[in-house]
Amino acid sequence: MIKLKGITKTYYRGKVETPVLLGIDLHVRPGEFLAIMGPSGSGKSTLLHILGLLDRTSGGSYLLDGSETSTLNDDELARLRNAKLGFVFQAFHLLPKSTALDNVLLPFTYAGHFPQDAAHRARHALARVGLEHRLHHRPGEMSGGECQRVAIARALVNDPEVIFADEPTGNLDQRSSLEVISILQGLNAEGRTIVLVTHDTAVGCMCRRLVRLIYGRVDSDEIIAEPTQAMRQLQTLMEAAK
Amino acid sequence: MSLAWRLLKAALSSLWAFRSYAALMMIGLIIGIASLTVIHQIGQGAQQQVAARMASMGFGADAFYISSGGGRLGVRRGMKRAVTLTPVDAASISRLDGVAQVVPHKNVARTQVTAGSNHTNTRVRGAPPGWAAARNWSMLHGRFISRADIGQSARVAVVGTTVVRELYGGANPVGRRLRIGRTPFIVVGVLESKGSSGWRDRDDIILVPLSTATKRLSRDDKISGMRVTMTDASRVEEIKGEVTAVLRENHSLGPGVPDDFLIITPDELMKLITRQSRSLVVMLTFVSAVSLFVSGVVIMNIMLVAVSERAYEIGVRRAVGARRRDILYQILMESLMVAAAGGVCGLLLGILLSYLATLLLGIPTAFSPSGFLWALGFSAAVGLFFGVAPAKKAAGLHPVEALR
Repeated sequence: MIKLKGITKTYYRGKVETPVLLGIDLHVRPGEFLAIMGPSGSGKSTLLHILGLLDRTSGGSYLLDGSETSTLNDDELARLRNAKLGFVFQAFHLLPKSTALDNVLLPFTYAGHFPQDAAHRARHALARVGLEHRLHHRPGEMSGGECQRVAIARALVNDPEVIFADEPTGNLDQRSSLEVISILQGLNAEGRTIVLVTHDTAVGCMCRRLVRLIYGRVDSDEIIAEPTQAMRQLQTLMEAAK
Repeated sequence: MSLAWRLLKAALSSLWAFRSYAALMMIGLIIGIASLTVIHQIGQGAQQQVAARMASMGFGADAFYISSGGGRLGVRRGMKRAVTLTPVDAASISRLDGVAQVVPHKNVARTQVTAGSNHTNTRVRGAPPGWAAARNWSMLHGRFISRADIGQSARVAVVGTTVVRELYGGANPVGRRLRIGRTPFIVVGVLESKGSSGWRDRDDIILVPLSTATKRLSRDDKISGMRVTMTDASRVEEIKGEVTAVLRENHSLGPGVPDDFLIITPDELMKLITRQSRSLVVMLTFVSAVSLFVSGVVIMNIMLVAVSERAYEIGVRRAVGARRRDILYQILMESLMVAAAGGVCGLLLGILLSYLATLLLGIPTAFSPSGFLWALGFSAAVGLFFGVAPAKKAAGLHPVEALR
């Protein structure tokens, strides 16, 4: 599905060169739940931006579904993001004055044509993250966990091949974090490919594959045989609270 | 729901979200467009008024007026204006090909007029029988001056309603007497009222036969002016030239000697009247142009700030598939709509102010649909022009930078 070969990324600020990625080889297969971890400055966010076609590589090859993306122009990248990718951000990044439903409908605005069943699909996506009762609420009227679930619904609504999540639990309390990860685990169980970046080992251990970056290189790449089940942890937490 | 509607709705909801900004952006535009509207409506009103007045004077496109004394239209000539035209001139002009009618008149200096114990001071004018028809006057009572009156230089008078009020307390004066200076006259008719023309009361007038005016009320047989009607409006300029030649010959004016008469065409009169208000209009237009420019700059700056504040929104839109030009169009659409909304508000305010100007100050104003389109077009242009920089800035944001 995704094949990275020798990906490099160097930032130029004035005459100062800052190499961030020094040659990444990575193969993401359909149905994987991949966590990218690493200390600050290891390049994990940069790698996610490149994977998500939000940023360009300085060198190397990136094949998405077998086609090279590094030669595509801006509009073609936008089209690919719209059709094949979904994004979840640490700070949710919902439009503050739009309802949950309108936020989830946003990707369709840029889909070339607005599908007939858009509203139906948006409701379905919101139901999938357990927010069927929050359709007409605005972000200000919802908790952080709910906002992040709206963001997941937005990432889900165009039925993408991969969902990218950049520190999705970074702004959430423990319980909301577990809810969000549990939803992502559920989506992965249904066959959806997910790549997330985190610096939280507990979150990393809830994925099925863990890639560690250090100084712009892949340091380790391991399969987690038995990922922690967020749902079970959540139940434990609820019981402890009683 | 179509894509265009979606984009429009997105722009509308952004504007609503940033409505305090939007209001700030609109203020300058509202003032600018409102003052432009007021200027335009006053201009339209003045033109309509002038046109109406000229029509009521029987001053159509097929006529011009020759006035005694030289000089230029609109330039104030001396109090003692030479009276140079003669009945011979009138006769020569009426013989020209293409001239349908010549209606001369003679102004007698404002004179004391008495009737019984009442007296007033009014304009006295000598006129031929054709004068009333030529100037669209109709009779309220009695008759107008007749051919026989001219032949006999009869001492008969036709009076305006103001004179009737001053001298006879409003009663029908036909058959009664009055004195112009020391000469006794009999009133034979009353003119239908025409009301004030703005600078003078047109009903404050006494008409006597032209021959009576030249023979009995003044010492000379000169005439003050004449109105010349053409058979064909398209020949006005041509006949104007011929008339000039005839008059210069009649008055024996050698080459280099300026005309001692003045030909006034409806076009020139209209231009003169509009020229008087032009400097005011130019100044007000300049002021509103400056305020529109300033409001454009304000819109641009507020939009630039708003783009920075909304960077993450732009980042999200780019992440979910918006192309650079989608962002460009969105921001342009927003500034266009702010400007158009400001334009409509300004237009409504301008119409209201014009209405108040008419109501409270008596300034004539008129609404014109062209002004409406103009205001909308102008504000939309301001919005588009000054929206370009913020839109380019927004579209140029790198998605990753924007999402930070």
